[in-house]
Amino acid sequence: MINVESVTRRFGNLTAVDDVSFAVERNEIVGFVGPNGAGKSTMLKMLSTFILPTAGKIEIDGLDAVEQSLAVRRRIGYLAGDTPLYREMRVDKFLRFIGQARGLRGTELQQGFERAVEICDLESVLLQRIDHCSTGFRQRVGLATALIHDPPILLLDEPTHGFDPLQVLAFRDMLQRLKKDRAILFSTHIIADVEAVSDRVLIINEGRLLGNGRIDQLAETAGRPDAGLEEIFAHLVQVEKPHA
Amino acid sequence: MPDTERLSCGQFLAGTRILFNRELAAYFDSPIAYIYATVFLVLSCSTFMNSFFLDAVVDMSAYFEILPFLLIPFIPAITMRAWAEERAEHTFELLMTLPLHSFQVVLGKYLAALGFYLVVLLGSLPIVAMLAWLGEPDVGQIAASYLGALLLGGFFLSFGLLASGLTRDQIVAFALATLIGFVFVLSGHEKVVEVVDGLTPSWQLGTWLYESVSVLPHYEAFGRGLIGLADLLYFLLMSGFFVWMNQITLQRSKY
Repeated sequence: MINVESVTRRFGNLTAVDDVSFAVERNEIVGFVGPNGAGKSTMLKMLSTFILPTAGKIEIDGLDAVEQSLAVRRRIGYLAGDTPLYREMRVDKFLRFIGQARGLRGTELQQGFERAVEICDLESVLLQRIDHCSTGFRQRVGLATALIHDPPILLLDEPTHGFDPLQVLAFRDMLQRLKKDRAILFSTHIIADVEAVSDRVLIINEGRLLGNGRIDQLAETAGRPDAGLEEIFAHLVQVEKPHA
Repeated sequence: MPDTERLSCGQFLAGTRILFNRELAAYFDSPIAYIYATVFLVLSCSTFMNSFFLDAVVDMSAYFEILPFLLIPFIPAITMRAWAEERAEHTFELLMTLPLHSFQVVLGKYLAALGFYLVVLLGSLPIVAMLAWLGEPDVGQIAASYLGALLLGGFFLSFGLLASGLTRDQIVAFALATLIGFVFVLSGHEKVVEVVDGLTPSWQLGTWLYESVSVLPHYEAFGRGLIGLADLLYFLLMSGFFVWMNQITLQRSKY
């Protein structure tokens, strides 16, 4: 459902993403791991059509992300890294605005709204202004905006940012429930989140993809069959350094 | 090129209306907008009342004559946050990843700002009621003047939004739009024309600016009760140009 072929993104002299290729299939949760500034958010911004790749090709559900960006945006649910929200709006009004902007009307809008509210457990804050909500609730409002139109593809940039431990567990559970018939790609630098829910892991550092596979496969490749993801990650980054 | 998908007229208008509704509601949610509106109304109406009592003439010319000069700081104060705040709060990313064409977003914002300005402008209607009560004002001239004021505000809003789209900093957006406003208004002032002509005697730059660039000659025609095609076209084309430029600059942020 997501196909990335040799994608590069440069900002002036800085290469934020360097010749990256990967795919994410239906019914799959893929964790995108890397340190801050590794290129995770840049990659997700390109997948969401917010910015264009300098080189390479991105296909979302068979559509070209550059040429058919509007059609692509209808198929994705995207939570950006800073959880952008119109904070002066009430939660219910904001969600309805997003639903309408995503083309939902009438019953479809109401159903999408109720489903997103239920999945993200927002009933208690629906009539509150967003800036009066806690960080965790604001993050859940952001998640609800990505889910309201029931998209087949979810792109989540640091989705557990601001969550307490219970909310993190609830999020992992939610992701597993959403997995059916969907391709989910989420970025994080919290290794435990990735280990808990991902079917596959992409490891990125300094814009380059260092690993792509299940955790056991990555451990095998790294020559450390018993290693956890944290150790594999550290190993791959260290190995890559001299060539960087 | 991105956003090449063709939208039907209905789809285009529906998307634009959704943005328009949100943006207009955001203006009325903001206390600062009420402060701007109050200050503008107090300044414009008190200036008018002053000349009304001095001249004792039943018309609104004094109100509409001062308007371009009041709009120079007032409109940038409205528009400075439009895009600059979206960028600062990162909601720009949210907006530009919704399945809307960037022109729908730009037009929705522009029309909402125009709607807010129209509401503020209509705050001067009690003056019309007062004049009608005191005598027999030229209703046609007043209606044409209001149309001119609406077009003038629309023009100022178009470059104000462009200035806001060029920067993250609201102060820079305000200063830039105010500067552009000064150029368009003062280039129509006869003393400025004389001075600029005096500085460039062979080119007559002041006269050229007055005839080709300045907003005042076109606006003043409405104040005389004349609705000319050339003046209408000036406002529509100039506003359209700046709205289009606004969209171009937003598209460029993808690269």
